[in-house]
Amino acid sequence: MVDPSGFEAFWFCAYTPLEILDAAGFTPRRLLGDKDGLEEADSYLHPAFCPYVRACLVEGLKNPTAHAAIFVNACDGMRRLHDAWKRLCGSDFIHLLDFPRRNDIHGLRTFQQSLSLLIDELEKFTGKRITLEDLRNAVNLRKEVRRHFHDLSQGSPGSERLKLAQKAQQLDPEEFLKLRAEKPWQAEGIPLVITGNLLNPSGLVALVEEHGVLLVGSDLCNGERPFMVEGEATGDTREELISSLAEQYLRRRHCARMSDAKRRHNQLLHLIREREARGVIYASLKFCDSYIYDYPLAEKFLGNEGIPLLRLESDYQDGHAGQLSTRIEAFVEMLRG
Amino acid sequence: MELLESLKDRFLDRLSPGLMRSALLWQSAEGLVRSPLNRPGWKADNVSLLYFLRYSRLAFQQKKPVIWASLLFPSELIHAGGLIPFYPEMAAAVISRLGLASRFLEKAAEEGLSSDACSFHRVIWGSYSEGFMPEPQLIATVNYLCDSAPLSFLRVSVLDNIPCRILEVPFEENEESIINLASQIEELAILLAKLSGKRWEDYLKDLRETLVLSNRAREHLLEVENMRRNFPYLLDGKDALGHLSVLASMFGHPSAIEFYKKLAKEMKERANEGGCTLSQGKPYRHILWMHLKPYYSDSIFTYLKEHGARVVCEEYNRCYWEEMDPSRPFISLAQKLASHFGIGPSEKRTNNILRLVKDHRIDGAIHFNHWGCRQSTGSTLQIKQALKEEGIPFLSLEGECIDEREYQEGQIRTRLEAFLESL
Repeated sequence: MVDPSGFEAFWFCAYTPLEILDAAGFTPRRLLGDKDGLEEADSYLHPAFCPYVRACLVEGLKNPTAHAAIFVNACDGMRRLHDAWKRLCGSDFIHLLDFPRRNDIHGLRTFQQSLSLLIDELEKFTGKRITLEDLRNAVNLRKEVRRHFHDLSQGSPGSERLKLAQKAQQLDPEEFLKLRAEKPWQAEGIPLVITGNLLNPSGLVALVEEHGVLLVGSDLCNGERPFMVEGEATGDTREELISSLAEQYLRRRHCARMSDAKRRHNQLLHLIREREARGVIYASLKFCDSYIYDYPLAEKFLGNEGIPLLRLESDYQDGHAGQLSTRIEAFVEMLRG
Repeated sequence: MELLESLKDRFLDRLSPGLMRSALLWQSAEGLVRSPLNRPGWKADNVSLLYFLRYSRLAFQQKKPVIWASLLFPSELIHAGGLIPFYPEMAAAVISRLGLASRFLEKAAEEGLSSDACSFHRVIWGSYSEGFMPEPQLIATVNYLCDSAPLSFLRVSVLDNIPCRILEVPFEENEESIINLASQIEELAILLAKLSGKRWEDYLKDLRETLVLSNRAREHLLEVENMRRNFPYLLDGKDALGHLSVLASMFGHPSAIEFYKKLAKEMKERANEGGCTLSQGKPYRHILWMHLKPYYSDSIFTYLKEHGARVVCEEYNRCYWEEMDPSRPFISLAQKLASHFGIGPSEKRTNNILRLVKDHRIDGAIHFNHWGCRQSTGSTLQIKQALKEEGIPFLSLEGECIDEREYQEGQIRTRLEAFLESL
């Protein structure tokens, strides 16, 4: 039996059900990885592998503290990170959660089973039952975090919004709720939406902004995406609330790994129009198959809607991002007309 | 190879989407296979070739609904409906073998698909766009072995409004997750029964029959595996890896039984004739091959043979499931699918490899790191470690299965040379 208070639960994928980790008494913290130590991962994972996954493994190798690690079976990268972590990083509690690609009744059943299994495992580990009240409190707490994020990020440029989103994913929720807006933002520039997987706020995102761009939306998994949640998780019993939570996760703004590409593209279009963006930066980390295959579809979809699009790729360190300047400049010039 | 050369001579320069849909092409190819001039390496090869030519003809001519399926999708479900299974990943391998891949790879690049994507799927995109793939009425994928198939097949679904269904196999195999998977399979079976025009009762009866056929093919496959254990040099890895298409798409069809039965029989005949040869009086080194091979060239296998080593066992080309119970078709198919060594944690794959090492008295193991294949390369270093603990030399060979332009002959030879020395 382990007392989970103050015990960190590391998580990696934006589909991690934080409410359950909160309800179990853990302090969830998203790992963003050691970007500067990527080469160290070569001994454990192939170089043509997701740099975020590789960076997280390096961070895990250096972490001496007791922790839990929660993985989501979302892609080849996350599966193999789970396997490598289990072998090399010595977690006190490690769990991989199945997450469906389909968001129909079978997908829902799969994810409900996954959540119940996670709860069972956590209860065994801590020796403490997760009650309906624990879950309700956690659901409300995460709702507050989302609301606070939206309040604080109002009018902020993309790189700042990304940094804030990362804080919301890394800090204890109570700590995050104490943050106050530092200054009213008066950012200017050509309004664009950035979409993709997970980006380095000080790398490629900052570079884009240096070229006179105002990123009015960050549809990224370390950006706004996890905070764009539809509906509320409710239930009169523990099982009902778990089921409702599963549904909420399946209905939220999608990552490109989900099989309903049309829904994702329509959601992106809605965001572009709502924020009055004039174009899209489609940027993702290298070797991410979900975005590699999605890009041509998104390009065609947005092209049909007359929305200009620029494709950029990041190695997460973004040491050579400057080489992309010419392309960004040309795109911005084209938009300025 | 003679047959391949004849096909190339007759048709390759004239290939067009129209020709692919004409009976002439496929009937001529079938005629060539049946001709006495055709001398396949193994008589069984003609069985699979005729099967694939027939089904390709039916698919291109849209004689019945065509089902695009990814590598692990249970072919029994499609055969039960008398529908036309088409496995695009297998078709990409044939395209590469025929030397046609570069044109389609370029087309995929034009369409914005990054060269970091798996070339099997880049060829599928390019060839579909140019009209060289048959149009599906349903796309059926599985969330394993890799992410690429469900992501890549989505494109046809999205752009051409083709229904697409995915079977989501659970990471952990347990009673509850198998029931969930079985209900997904049943739901897909209902859809396939509708497409076939059969009444549900009739489809179900035929599905049970395909499971009986599948079990019989499995018995003969086990016979082949047993022969390979006892006579390791009879069937070379380069030929055996070609049988993956049989494993993926023919189970549940009588041709799979005929294929393995014929192969096992001929292996026995050759063994009796003393067909298990030595290399300059010494036994060959036994090599285990992991992942797929380059389809455009056999030079790696030739080099190994010339240097006293033979691929005697391949990770992918194996029976991985238990006999199925035809009276419980959905649970049986769910168990078959979930038992694949590539589904679940890396330990499952590694343990399977360690079993093969023991069973086939392996001296060294080669993992072919196909560019862009995250699922296989993701566990390479774990496999290396496990083999090291068993004292088995391991070679992680970077390469390309489909794109001949990326083949680095010199580099590969240097690495093979060093590896063989370590044996």
